[in-house]
Amino acid sequence: MIVIGTAGFPVLAQLPGARPELLPPDRAFRLSARAVDRDTLEVRFDIAQGYYMYRDRMSFRVEPVAAGAADLPKGERKHDAFFGDVDVYRGEVVLRVPLASPAAAGEALTLFAQSQGCADAGVCYPPNPQQIRLKVPAAGARAGDFVEARSGGLFN
Amino acid sequence: MRRRSFLAIAAGALAAGAAGGYVAWRSLEADRRDAAALLALTLPDLAGREQAISQWKGKLLLVNFWATWCGPCREEMPNFVRVQAANASNGLQIVGIAVDQPDKVRQFANELGINYPILLGGYGAIELSRALGNTVGALPFTVVVDRHGKVVFTHLGALHEPRLGELLQGWLSAA
Repeated sequence: MIVIGTAGFPVLAQLPGARPELLPPDRAFRLSARAVDRDTLEVRFDIAQGYYMYRDRMSFRVEPVAAGAADLPKGERKHDAFFGDVDVYRGEVVLRVPLASPAAAGEALTLFAQSQGCADAGVCYPPNPQQIRLKVPAAGARAGDFVEARSGGLFN
Repeated sequence: MRRRSFLAIAAGALAAGAAGGYVAWRSLEADRRDAAALLALTLPDLAGREQAISQWKGKLLLVNFWATWCGPCREEMPNFVRVQAANASNGLQIVGIAVDQPDKVRQFANELGINYPILLGGYGAIELSRALGNTVGALPFTVVVDRHGKVVFTHLGALHEPRLGELLQGWLSAA
């Protein structure tokens, strides 16, 4: 009888209610950023375990100062049946976005980020546009603190 | 006494699982949701013509939310092409709602030779899928509406053979 009871668990484990819940995108892919100095922003993604982001689907824009090309670190090579060999990020990713011209000390900037990722469980999240308000440090001051992206964006 | 009822529950769960309790469980869950929002929807097809979802009422309607940027969606779709071809005369109607840009959708639909209607939902279609139970807003997401207009199944993630075929046979053979 006990054997029947324990044999029931593998069946129960397959029920969707017993599956680990998938995370909403703003928890699977946590975005934060800071202004390092008048020329540079630093962007950080904390990617939950079991999730990944596409390197070539990240883009950044800054207002009112224009941004240069983001310095995207090398990712992990992943072979995708449809997209071929793609670079993906897992865990923590930190990258720098240079400003095309120096911002004023203390200036308020808005970073617009677009990114997209998937879960190893076999689902993908839509391209996620997010924004973060940052303040450029005063002349000679240390880099600003990381600011988290607001949740509740268009697709969060 | 306590031990006996636990065993009865465990044995019941085992029997239910073996007899397709998985489907029954999903149905209970999905029944609470309303297919009305889905059936009231009108979206443009790939030729730009507005198509009302309600035109397929009375069929077993499988609505698949997908996108070209979603690898698991692209992998899953040939399964839908196969089951649509095999079950068209049995009253199965698959409809794809693309959460994507029209030009990318058209190109992929042509490459794959999709044999069921693809409607252009845009990114806003994610919100519709949320209302149908896709709480995290990921893809692929599939909803099945039975001939009576009731949501009988929702699933986040790809559906593959043989499970897809088995599920469909169950609903198609139901009155």
